[in-house]
Amino acid sequence: MKLFDHKQQMYVRNREFLERLHLDALLLLGILLLLISGTAIVFSASGGDWEVTQRHLLRVGFAMGLMLFFAQIKPSVIFIFTPILFLIGILLLIAVQLFGDIGKGAQRWLEFGSVRFQPSELMKLALPLMMAWLFAHSRHPPTFTRLFSGFMLIVLTAGLIVIQPDLGTSLLIATSGLFVIFFAGLPWKLIVGGLLAAAGSVPIAWEFMHDYQRQRVLTFLNPESDPLGSGYHIIQSKIAIGSGGIEGKGYLGSTQAHLEFLPESTTDFIFSVISEEFGLIGVILLLAMYLFVIGRGLWIAAQAQDTFTRLVAAGLTMIFFVYVFVNIGMVSGLLPVVGLPLPLISYGGSSMVTLMIGFGILMSIQTHRKMLAKQ
Amino acid sequence: MSPLNENLEFSTSQQNQKRKRQFRNRLIVAFSFTFVLMLFLIGRMAYLQWFNYDRYHGLAEGNRISIEVLPPTRGKIYDRNHILIVDNQPFFTLSLVREDMKDIDAFEAELKSLLDTYPQESLDKFFATFRVGRRAKSYTLPHSLSEQEAARFAVISHRHPGVTLISRLKRTYPYQGIGVHAIGYVGRINQKEIKTLDSTRYRGTDIVGKSGVEKYYESLLHGYPGIQQVETNVRGSVLRKLETTPAINGQDIHLTLDIELQKFAEELMGDRRGSIIALDPQTGEVLAYVSMPTFDPNLFVDGIDSKTYKALLEDPNKPFINRGINGQYPPGSTIKQFVALGAIEKEIISPFKKIFDPGYFEYKGNRYRDWKRWGHGLVDMHLAIAQSCDTYFYELSLDMGIDNIHDAMAPFGFGQRSGIDIPGESKGILPSQEWKRITKNEPWYRGETIISSIGQGYHLSTPVQLARATAILANRGKQITPHLLKQLDSEREQTLQIEIRKIENWERVIQGMVAVMHGKTGTARHFGVDLPFTMAGKTGTAQVFSLNQADYDSAKLDKSLHDHSLFVGFAPVEKPRIAVAVIAENSGSGSKTAAPIAVNVIKRYLRPDLPLTPFPNNTGNDR
Repeated sequence: MKLFDHKQQMYVRNREFLERLHLDALLLLGILLLLISGTAIVFSASGGDWEVTQRHLLRVGFAMGLMLFFAQIKPSVIFIFTPILFLIGILLLIAVQLFGDIGKGAQRWLEFGSVRFQPSELMKLALPLMMAWLFAHSRHPPTFTRLFSGFMLIVLTAGLIVIQPDLGTSLLIATSGLFVIFFAGLPWKLIVGGLLAAAGSVPIAWEFMHDYQRQRVLTFLNPESDPLGSGYHIIQSKIAIGSGGIEGKGYLGSTQAHLEFLPESTTDFIFSVISEEFGLIGVILLLAMYLFVIGRGLWIAAQAQDTFTRLVAAGLTMIFFVYVFVNIGMVSGLLPVVGLPLPLISYGGSSMVTLMIGFGILMSIQTHRKMLAKQ
Repeated sequence: MSPLNENLEFSTSQQNQKRKRQFRNRLIVAFSFTFVLMLFLIGRMAYLQWFNYDRYHGLAEGNRISIEVLPPTRGKIYDRNHILIVDNQPFFTLSLVREDMKDIDAFEAELKSLLDTYPQESLDKFFATFRVGRRAKSYTLPHSLSEQEAARFAVISHRHPGVTLISRLKRTYPYQGIGVHAIGYVGRINQKEIKTLDSTRYRGTDIVGKSGVEKYYESLLHGYPGIQQVETNVRGSVLRKLETTPAINGQDIHLTLDIELQKFAEELMGDRRGSIIALDPQTGEVLAYVSMPTFDPNLFVDGIDSKTYKALLEDPNKPFINRGINGQYPPGSTIKQFVALGAIEKEIISPFKKIFDPGYFEYKGNRYRDWKRWGHGLVDMHLAIAQSCDTYFYELSLDMGIDNIHDAMAPFGFGQRSGIDIPGESKGILPSQEWKRITKNEPWYRGETIISSIGQGYHLSTPVQLARATAILANRGKQITPHLLKQLDSEREQTLQIEIRKIENWERVIQGMVAVMHGKTGTARHFGVDLPFTMAGKTGTAQVFSLNQADYDSAKLDKSLHDHSLFVGFAPVEKPRIAVAVIAENSGSGSKTAAPIAVNVIKRYLRPDLPLTPFPNNTGNDR
């Protein structure tokens, strides 16, 4: 086993300020652009409420602090702690079943003193990390045993969340795990076969759904059937989006939000406010910003130097994309309403914290590389 | 193999090269996938915003149906004689929408010069939140405007778009502080309550019951909001009313209180601290519920200003303490009849056995004094109750033991919540060996039994418990639950009956209580002489400190006034219609203050035509 080859030489460390903070300049730029736009939109969507906006900024600041903190942690340290983190996550999910707080028909919250905490939020990071950990040692292509144990971990995690019940989150978390398996080298024939099987299982899933979940799916398929009930949100959201036109009604011009036709205009439905105020042009700009962040994330994955960090970077980036796609698809009537905020834009909550920690890990991966010469 | 080893190895490993190539390929697949889906989203947006713009634009413009909440009117409260004691009065206030207003500063200045009675502090606070709140939301001034103020605003209102004079209903308590601890009051919904209240039911409502009946029967009184669909213009102002689902108003309720008796009883208490509870022993209906001092519930409806609130909170007489259910007092001699009943029931003593009282009882070298220095001489049970002989009960207690005393008193509700319909009742303490082991982790000492027999030591009872126990005794064992809400006979819960071995034992102790009022040596004989009906009573004097010990300046008071004055009683003995418990804090012996108060309350209820029984000058120092 050869260590440093003579052909490999250490790059001189870049002494730039951001580098010393372990921050990636381009990724940070994309994130900041989104956060700034988000704050402006939260102000408008809340009907010009300074208090809400200030609280949002506080949360943004807190999340930025966490990103900075996680960027300092070496990927090798993250690697060591991953199984522990995952185990804690599983135990907390079980604890939720046993002692959890029930809110809006679901048991999702754990209470520590005055702090309420949703263990499924932790799993949004812990599961992709755990999958990357599992495949970091894998031979190539991965053996059947390893693939199988990977699937089992996904099923276990998603299963614990689905019984809360929280179908939407459990699907999202399962997806993040599946992305890691995909990047780890799942054979194409298994991918195609799996997709076909999933399509075939839809009628079976329907049988096991809760009434409110079926209701969501039904209203999604035909929102006009119940215009004052559960379809109301989607109809009003589509009106907001459509009435924005190409150029939009201008900043603070969203009548749908200000006259309070739009539900949850600062959180899940904030995209409708953007579309109404900035039109198709604004939407394309926003999507371009997202694509920039995703592109940079995948680039970091391509540059990463070991299997673990490669899989983590690619997995976290793709799940970020899935959140964007699902939220926009939901408010524009393409997907059923699952209750998911628009990443980095919506009025901050625990989801913003999770995402920013994820970006912290991406930055850590990028800035802790051993600078090797091109091969 | 650690990831670092693998890391260092990868440049040489064939497998890793292959793996890396495949990973890069898959990144490209993933990015293409992302890109295509983004294009797909843009396509969807173009479909909505470009191809269907006209349709959605039209819908947004026509989005004029909005929903207004019609809050329910809170139920009124009447007394047992259908006298209105809690009402809703119309009042004026202003509603402001920031988006529609021209100049908030100018309006604020003009409004301040316009209003003379309105609390300035609250106005400043309102404008501070209004300035940063939602632009399109309507905010309502928290306090009411007087009619003159409303008229003055009406004159200038045309200059201030976005500000509307509106009329609302406000909870009012015409009897002010009378019965406030029973009736309770409403106040603004606070942060904590927002979390627990049903948000649909409380849409459009900003008050909620905070204490007493107003809190206990919140769900009856509140009602359900209605909904009105209105057609609005793009600015949100109402053009036309469409469909309406009316609100279901809260229920009016009748209480068992007799507000006139209540008022009379409070006046009898004067400026003393304490409590009077009067019950109908047959049904458990609360006829009067006095906790002194009181305070004016009208102060809380709009939100009390902090200065008044602080003054009330720091008042050494503690008006906020609900003494009827939370005042836990040593019951003193008012429990002797229950101990006596237990003793003859278990045949621990014969009711005819005479004990000699030299004025003290000696046990293990300690002297336990009787309240009467020279003693009562030879007394049997009847006289021991009539004269409240301590020595008799000291001696009896050692034969009974604390657990028998506990078992004798428990069926009368001591040490348990009475179940009265006022939230937050205290349990009091009914000591026993087990109680002491559990709460103090100590064994019981016999000396403690001696003082327990006269209601001192660990014993603590609330006035409601004492009144209920007296009512149960008056009923000869029917265990009623005190309640304030008037019920139909059919709604009443089944009551249990205390079963006793010898039915005549009821009369034995009750006759002892009759002798308290009507006997030659009874402790309250001065107040029983002229009564046209037979009354049973028992005086009590609790040697203690006041409820609020810390603020209590004992040096300023006559020593005898340190004791709490207690009295329990009922009448007529043959067919009881009223049972009363009175506690006057630091007012001397039971016969001095509590007894005449109780006699007057009972007289007022049974025979309002009779003149008041005067308070004694120096005669009534019997305990």
